[in-house]
Amino acid sequence: MVHTLQQQEFKFDAKPKKFVVWLFVVSSTIMFGGWTSYYIVFAASKGKGHGLVLPDAFMYSTAVLVVSSVTLFLASRALRNGNKKSQQLFLWITFALGLIFAYLQFQGWTGLYRSGAVLINNNAAISLIYVVSGFHLLHIFAGICFILNTLIGSYKEIPTEKAVYRQEITSIFWHFIDILWIYLYVFLLLNS
Amino acid sequence: MSTISLQDTHHHDNHDDHGHEHHQDTFLTKYVFSQDHKMIAKQFLITGIIMAVIAMGLSILFRLQLAWPDKSFPILETFLGKWAEGGRIRPDFYLALVTIHGTIMVFFVLTAGLSGTFSNLLIPLQVGARDMASPFLNMLSYWFFFTACVIMMGSFFIQTGPASAGWTVYPPLSAIPKAIPGSGLGMTMWLISMVLFVASSLMGGINYVSTILNMRTKGMDLWKMPLTIWAFFLTAILGILSFPVLVAGVVLLVFDRSFGTSFYLSDIVFGTQILPNEGGSPILWQHLFWFLGHPEVYIVIMPAMGISSEIISVNSRKPIFGYHAMIYSLIGITVLSFIVWGHHMFVTGMNPLLGGVFMITTLIIAVPSAVKTFNWLATLWRGNIRFTPAMLFAIGMVSFFISGGLTGIWLGNAALDINLHDTYFVVAHFHLVMGSAAIFGMLAGVYHWFPRMFGRLMDKKLGYLHFWITFTCAYLVFFPLHFLGLDGVPRRYYAFTEFAFMEKWLTVNVLVTWSAIIAGLAQVAFLFNFFYSIFKGKKSSQNPWGANTLEWTAPVERLHGNWPGEIPTVYRWPYDYSKPGAEEDFIPQTVPFSQTMSSNLPHDFEGNTEAEKIQAEWELNNKPAKDTE
Repeated sequence: MVHTLQQQEFKFDAKPKKFVVWLFVVSSTIMFGGWTSYYIVFAASKGKGHGLVLPDAFMYSTAVLVVSSVTLFLASRALRNGNKKSQQLFLWITFALGLIFAYLQFQGWTGLYRSGAVLINNNAAISLIYVVSGFHLLHIFAGICFILNTLIGSYKEIPTEKAVYRQEITSIFWHFIDILWIYLYVFLLLNS
Repeated sequence: MSTISLQDTHHHDNHDDHGHEHHQDTFLTKYVFSQDHKMIAKQFLITGIIMAVIAMGLSILFRLQLAWPDKSFPILETFLGKWAEGGRIRPDFYLALVTIHGTIMVFFVLTAGLSGTFSNLLIPLQVGARDMASPFLNMLSYWFFFTACVIMMGSFFIQTGPASAGWTVYPPLSAIPKAIPGSGLGMTMWLISMVLFVASSLMGGINYVSTILNMRTKGMDLWKMPLTIWAFFLTAILGILSFPVLVAGVVLLVFDRSFGTSFYLSDIVFGTQILPNEGGSPILWQHLFWFLGHPEVYIVIMPAMGISSEIISVNSRKPIFGYHAMIYSLIGITVLSFIVWGHHMFVTGMNPLLGGVFMITTLIIAVPSAVKTFNWLATLWRGNIRFTPAMLFAIGMVSFFISGGLTGIWLGNAALDINLHDTYFVVAHFHLVMGSAAIFGMLAGVYHWFPRMFGRLMDKKLGYLHFWITFTCAYLVFFPLHFLGLDGVPRRYYAFTEFAFMEKWLTVNVLVTWSAIIAGLAQVAFLFNFFYSIFKGKKSSQNPWGANTLEWTAPVERLHGNWPGEIPTVYRWPYDYSKPGAEEDFIPQTVPFSQTMSSNLPHDFEGNTEAEKIQAEWELNNKPAKDTE
C-alpha cells in the first residue's frame, strides 16, 4: 500500500499542544483550590485561621516573582523581534529570579519555623501554609525546567516555530505560577 | 515532547500495513512504548481486562465468606496462606478484599479501562485526526496507569496486606498507620498508586479535550460530533476539574500519616494512648474526597452512555432520538455532578438545611438522566433492530441504568438516607447504576469496536452466551441486595450472622454468591472469545456494522496516522440511518448532500439558501422519476 500523505499534514501544529498546557493550568488551579477551600472550611468551623504575621521573606519573594514575569515577558518580546541574544539574556535573568524566589521561600519557612509555627502543628491552618507553598515551589521547579528547555532550544537554533512554541508554553506556565503565588499569598494574608 | 511527535509523523510516508515488520518500528516502539493512539487504547483495554478479572476474583472471595461464614475452604489456604488460615478468610483480609475490589473496579477498570480504551481509540478516529494532541503525553499516561496497577497489586505481597479502609479510605482509620494492619504500608501504597493514577488520568483527559477542541477534521463542527465524542469530551472535563481535588486531599492524608500533621485528626485515643493530633476534622476528608468521588461516578457512566447511544442508533438503523437533548443532558449531568457531593454525607451531622440543598440538586440529576433513558427507548422504538452482541450489551446498559437509577431517587432523599446509609441498599444501587451499567457499556464497546482495533470480528454465539448469563446473573447478584439493605444489613460487615436479626438473610447470600460465581464463569467465554478472536477471528470488512462515523472510513489495516491519504471531510451529522429516499439505510458522514439529492430534507441545509435553491430545482426536475421508483 502506498501512502501519499501531504506534506502540509505534518506541519508542526502548536495550537493543540499549547492548549494542553492551558488545561494543565486549569487542573493545577483546581488542586490549589482544593487546599484553599479546605482552609476556608477549617477556619470557619474552628473559628480560627493560622493567626500569624507572615514572614517578610514571602513579601520579597512575591516581588521577585512579579519581576521575573516582567523579564520573561521581555524575553518573549525579544524573540518576537528576532533578537535571540536578548531573549537568552532575559531568560537567564528569569531563571536566576526563579532560583532567588526558591531561596526566599526557604527563608520564609525558616522564619516560620523560628517563630514556632512548625509544620507539625495542632493548627492545621499553619501546616497548610507549608503544604501550599511547598507545592507551589514544586511548580516553580517545573517552570525552571520549562525555561531551561526554551534556552536549550534557543542555543540549538531549532526552527523558529518551535522556538516560539517553547517560549509561549514557558510564558503560559510561568505567568500562571506567578499569579498562583500572588493568589496564595493574598489568601494567606487575608486569612491571618 | 514536540520533537518526538514530529519525528513519528515522518514514518507515515513509507509505513506499511500490519503484520509486516518495519525497520523503523521495533517491537519496543510498536507494542510497548507506542505513541499510536490505537495501540495505547489496546494497552489500556487489555490492562483493564486483567484488572477486571482480578477485581472480580476478589469479589468472589469475599462472597464466599458472606454465603458460608462458618465453612472452611482448605483450597483458600493453599492459595492465600495466612490470609485464609484454616481455609477461612481472615477479617482484616476480608476488609482488604472489599477495599481493593472497589478501588480497582471504580478507578482502574471503569475509569482507565473505559475512558482510556475508548477515548484513545475513538477520539482521533471519530473526529478525524492523525493522533492525539500530544502522543508522548498519551504514552506517558498509559505507563503511569500501568505503574499504578503494579503498585496497587504489589500491596498484596507485603506482610501487612493491602489497604483495608474501604475504597473511600476515610480517616481516621486510614490516617493512623497502626489502626488496622491494612492502614500500614498497604495504605501508603494505595495512596502512591492513586497519585500516579490521577496523574495518568489527567494526562489522558487533558489530551482528549485538547484533541477534540483543536484537531477536528474539516466540516466536523461540534454539532456534527458523534455522541461518543461528546461523552468522552465531557468526561474528560469532569476528570480535569475533579481529580486534582483528590490529589489535594490525598496529599494532606499523606502528611497526616507520615509527618504527624492534624489535617484530619483530632481527639484520638488509641488503646490507652492519647494521640497528640488535635484540631483536624475527618469530615473535611469526606468533602474533598466526594468532591471528586461524585463526579467520578459520572466519569464512569458517561462514556458508557456515549458508547450505548452510538451502538443503539447504529443497530436500530435509526437516527438517535433527540441528538441535541442527548448532548444537553450530558452537559446538565456534568454541571450538576459538581454540586451534589454532599448526598454522600447526609449522616455526618450536616446541617439539615444544607442536606436539603444537596437533596434538591441530587434529585434534579434525575431529569437529564431520564431524558437520556427515554431517548434510548425512543431510538429503539420501531427500529429495525439488529441484535448483535454489542447491541444486547448496550440495551443491558440501559436496563441497569434504569433499575439502578430508580433507587437513586430513594437514596438522594436525606430523610430516607438516614435509614439506608451504608447498607446493602447502597451497594445494590451503585452496582447496578454505575457498576453493571458501565461494565455493560464497556463490553458493548469492546464487541462493537473490536473489528476497528484488531481487524477481526468476535464470535457472535459466544457473545450471546456471555451476554445472557452475565445479564441474568448480574440481576440475581444485585437485586436481592436491595432487600437486605431495606432490612438494615450493613455493608462491609465480615460476620453479619453474628446478629440474630440478619441471620435470615444467609440463604439470600448463598443465592447471590452462586450467581456471582456463575457470572464469573461466564466471563471465561468472553476472555476466550476476546483473545482467540485477536488472532483467529473472522476477518472484518471495513465497515462491518454499516455505521456512519468516520472511524469506519479508515482502512482495516490500522495505520499510524489513521488515513492513508487526506483526512476525510465531514458533511453531515453521524445519524443518517434509514433516511427516506436514500439508497442504503445509512449515509456516512463523509457523503456530501450533493450525492444524496433524493433523501435531502429541508433542515439538512441549516438555512443555506443557495443549497435549498439547488435542492428545490433538483426536486422539480426529478419529481416524476421519484414517483416511478
